[in-house]
Amino acid sequence: MVQYNFKKITVVPNGKDFIDIILSRTQRQTPTVVHKGYAISRLRQFYMRKVKYTQQNFHEKLSTIIDEFPRLDDIHPFYGDLLHVLYNKDHYKLALGQINTARNLISKIAKDYVKLLKYGDSLYRCKSLKVAALGRMCTVIKRIGPSLAYLEQIRQHMARLPSIDPNTRTMLICGYPNVGKSSFMNKITRADVDVQPYAFTTKSLFVGHTDYKYLRYQVIDTPGILDRPFEDRNIIEMCSITALAHLRAAVLFFLDISGSCGYSIAQQAALFHSIKSLFMNKPLIIVCNKTDLQPLDGISEEDRKLVMEMKTEAMKTVIGQGGEPTNEEGVLLTMSTLTEDGVIAVKNAACERLLNQRVELKMKSKKINDCLNRFHVALPKARDQKERPACIPQAVLEAKAKQAAEKEKRKTEKELEDENGGAGVYSASLRKNYILANDEWKEDTMPEILDGHNVYDFIDPDILLRLEELEREEGLRQAEEEGDDFEMDGQELSLEEQEALAEIRKKKSLLIQQHRMKKSTAESRPVVPRKFDTDRKFTTRRMGRQLSSLGLDPSLAISRARSKSRGRKRERSVDKREGDGRDAMDIDDNQASKKLRLRSTSRSRSLSRPPGEVIPGEGLKDSAQKIKAIKLAKKSVLKRNKNARRGEADRVIPTLKPKHLFSGKRSIGKTQRR
Amino acid sequence: MRLEKCWFCSSTVYPGHGIQFVRNDAKIFHFCRSKCHKNFKMKRNPRKVKWTKAYRRLHGKDMTQDSTFEFERKRNRPERYDRNLAENTLKAIKKIDKIRSDRASDHIKNRLKTGKVQRQKEARKQLELGIHLVKAPLALAQDSSLCLPKIKVNVSQAQTEENQPMED
Repeated sequence: MVQYNFKKITVVPNGKDFIDIILSRTQRQTPTVVHKGYAISRLRQFYMRKVKYTQQNFHEKLSTIIDEFPRLDDIHPFYGDLLHVLYNKDHYKLALGQINTARNLISKIAKDYVKLLKYGDSLYRCKSLKVAALGRMCTVIKRIGPSLAYLEQIRQHMARLPSIDPNTRTMLICGYPNVGKSSFMNKITRADVDVQPYAFTTKSLFVGHTDYKYLRYQVIDTPGILDRPFEDRNIIEMCSITALAHLRAAVLFFLDISGSCGYSIAQQAALFHSIKSLFMNKPLIIVCNKTDLQPLDGISEEDRKLVMEMKTEAMKTVIGQGGEPTNEEGVLLTMSTLTEDGVIAVKNAACERLLNQRVELKMKSKKINDCLNRFHVALPKARDQKERPACIPQAVLEAKAKQAAEKEKRKTEKELEDENGGAGVYSASLRKNYILANDEWKEDTMPEILDGHNVYDFIDPDILLRLEELEREEGLRQAEEEGDDFEMDGQELSLEEQEALAEIRKKKSLLIQQHRMKKSTAESRPVVPRKFDTDRKFTTRRMGRQLSSLGLDPSLAISRARSKSRGRKRERSVDKREGDGRDAMDIDDNQASKKLRLRSTSRSRSLSRPPGEVIPGEGLKDSAQKIKAIKLAKKSVLKRNKNARRGEADRVIPTLKPKHLFSGKRSIGKTQRR
Repeated sequence: MRLEKCWFCSSTVYPGHGIQFVRNDAKIFHFCRSKCHKNFKMKRNPRKVKWTKAYRRLHGKDMTQDSTFEFERKRNRPERYDRNLAENTLKAIKKIDKIRSDRASDHIKNRLKTGKVQRQKEARKQLELGIHLVKAPLALAQDSSLCLPKIKVNVSQAQTEENQPMED
C-alpha cells in the first residue's frame, strides 16, 4: 500500500499559468540567438532543441501531478470512501485521466514536429514549424484547464483533511445532531470544536487525542446523522457513515435523554436500529447525555423500554467479543457535559473496552510473541508470607495529622484584611506577634539615630554599670588636671615688657615691609638712586622725632647737622672770591653787591653749581670721578641722538621696506644681493 | 537606617548624602561628599592628607585610645527590645559624648602647652635683642626700666609736635 501524504502534493497551476511557466522557461534555458547565415543543420538543431525542451517540461510537470494525487483504489478504504464522498470518485478519475491523455498528446506532437524539423530547409520554415509545435502543445493544455482547476481545488481541500490514522486506537462519537458530541469532545481532548445551538454545527470530521493508561487514543467527532434511507443522505452525513463503516474503533452512541436536541428518544432509537449494522465487531457504548436536564430514572416507561432495547443490542457486541460475562456498567452510561458529571467515567469505560478488544485480537493473531511483553508485567515471587508495607516514620504521620487540623482552625491574615475593608484600607499590624518581656512595648518606636551616633551600637545590658565607672574615672581625671594647670603660670611677661615687645615687633615688621617694597623694584631700578632724597624726607625735624622716640636728646645732633649743611646763597660765592676772614656782615660788601645789582640790567642766571662739584650723598668719590662719569654718560647718549632715537629702547623702523633698497636696476654693477 | 563613617575623612554620612562604592572584591567604601570621593579616585592615602581624621590620629593630633570609644561597637546580633534598656541607653549616649569631647579637648590643650612655653622663651629673647629699636642703649643705661620714651621734638623753628606717629 502506497502511503500518500495529502499535505505534500505540489500546487497544480492554472492552465494559463502553466503555459506561461513552461514557455518562459524554454525561452530562458535554451539559446536564443540565431541568424539566417548559420549552417542549416545548426538551425534545425536550434529549433528541435526548443521543441523537445518544451515537451520534456510538460511531460515532467504532468507526471508529477498524476503521481502525487492518490489513487483511490490504493489507499486505505476509509480514505478512499471519504474522498469519494467528498469529491466524487468518477470526476476525480476523469480529471486525472485527462491529464494523462494531455501528456501523451504532447509527446506525440513533439515527436511529429521534430521529424518534420529534420527536413526543414530554411530558417523561416524551421521557425514556423517550431511555432506550430509549441502552439499545439499549448492548445492541449488550454483544453485541460478546467480539470487543472478542479484538481487544484481538491488538493487544497485534501490538505486540510484531519490526519486520522486508521490503524491506531480510535473512538468514534456518533448520534443525532445537537446531542452533545462536540461538547464531549472538547471536554476530553484539547480540540476546540465549535459548539452551537443549531443543528449541523459540525460539518466534517474532527480529530482529538486523549490519554488513558499511558496510551494515546484518537477521538473522532462526526457530524450528526439523521434517520433517513441511505440513498438520501447528504455529503456531511456520509462522512460520518464512512468513518463508522471503515474505522475499527470503539463507538460511542450519544443519546439525548432530555430531548432538548429537538428529537425524541424514539427517533434516536430508530436511528440506532437503522445503523446498528455498522456497529459489527466494534465495542459499543451507549451514552446518555444531558442528565442535568433529565435524569435517566425520570424518563417515561416507553422511553425506558427503548433504551433497554438499545442496551441489549450493545450487550450483544460485548458477548460477541469474547465472552466476558455481562459487565453491565460498561455498556450504558450516563453523563452531563455541562456539569462534567460522568464524563471521565465514560471516557475510561470506552478506552477500557477498546483496549480489551484490541488485546484479545492481538492475542489471537500469529504475532503474539512479538508483542507479549506489552501485556504482561512480571512481579517478583513472594519469598515468604511476611508482609512488608511501606515504611513511614511515626513523627511524619503525626505531623501530617496536626497540619491538617491546624489548617482548619487558624484565621488567616487575608481573612482579617478582607473583614476590615480590603487591601487599601487595612494595613496589617506586623508587630502583633512580637515576643517581648512586657506586652505594652509592642507598639514602641525606638530611635535609631541620636546626635550623630547609631543607637544600636550602644545597646548593652550592663551599660549603666559601665557608665558609673566611667564617671568615676572622669572625676578623678579632672581633679588631676586642675593640679597640673597651676604649675605653668610662672614665666609670663609683665605688662611693660609686653608693650615693649609689641613695639619691637611693629617696628621690625615695618622695616621688613619697606625692604620688601624696595626689593621688588630692585631689578628694574639702578642700585644707586639718581638723586639723593627725592622725597625730601631726610629733614632735621624727622631726625629729631626719631631720636627722641628712642629716648635720646636730639638738640645737639640737629644743630650739628644744620651747621654742616650748605644753603644756596650768594654769600658763598662772595666768600670764595675774597676769602680773607672778612666779616660777612660788612656793610661795604652789601653796598657793593647792591651796586652790582643796580647797574646790571641783564639778569644773570642764579648761579648753579660748577659741573664737577661733588654733592654729599650722591655716591661719588671726588670731582675727577664725577667729571669722568658725566663724560661717559654723554658718550653713551651721543650715537642715539644722532640716530634720532628717543631713548635706549626706541627701535622703531619708520619704513620696513623702503622701495629704493628693494627695487630698481643699477646703472653700473650687479644686483645679485640686496 | 545607619549612619556610616566616610572612608576618607571619617566624618559621619547621614542617609541621603554621599556615595557608596562597592569594589569587585565586595569591599564597600562610603564617602560623605564628592571631595572625599574624588580624593579616593586619585588614589590618595588618607593617612597623608592633612585634614582627615586618619592623619590626625596617626600623627597624634587627636586622641586615639580611650575607654569611651569602647562603648560604641557595631553589633551584628540584634537584642530583644527592652524599653528600660532603650531609655538608659539614650541617656547614657549623651553623657558618654560629653565625657569624650572633654577628654579630646584636654588632649589637644596638653599638646599645645609645650608650644606655649617655647614661645614665651622666644619672646623674652626677642625683647632682649631688639630693645635697641625702641629705646636707645644710652637711655636704657640711664633708666633701666622698660617703659618706652615718649616722643619729644625740640626744634627751634617749628612748633612742638605732640602725638606724632613715629613714621612719616
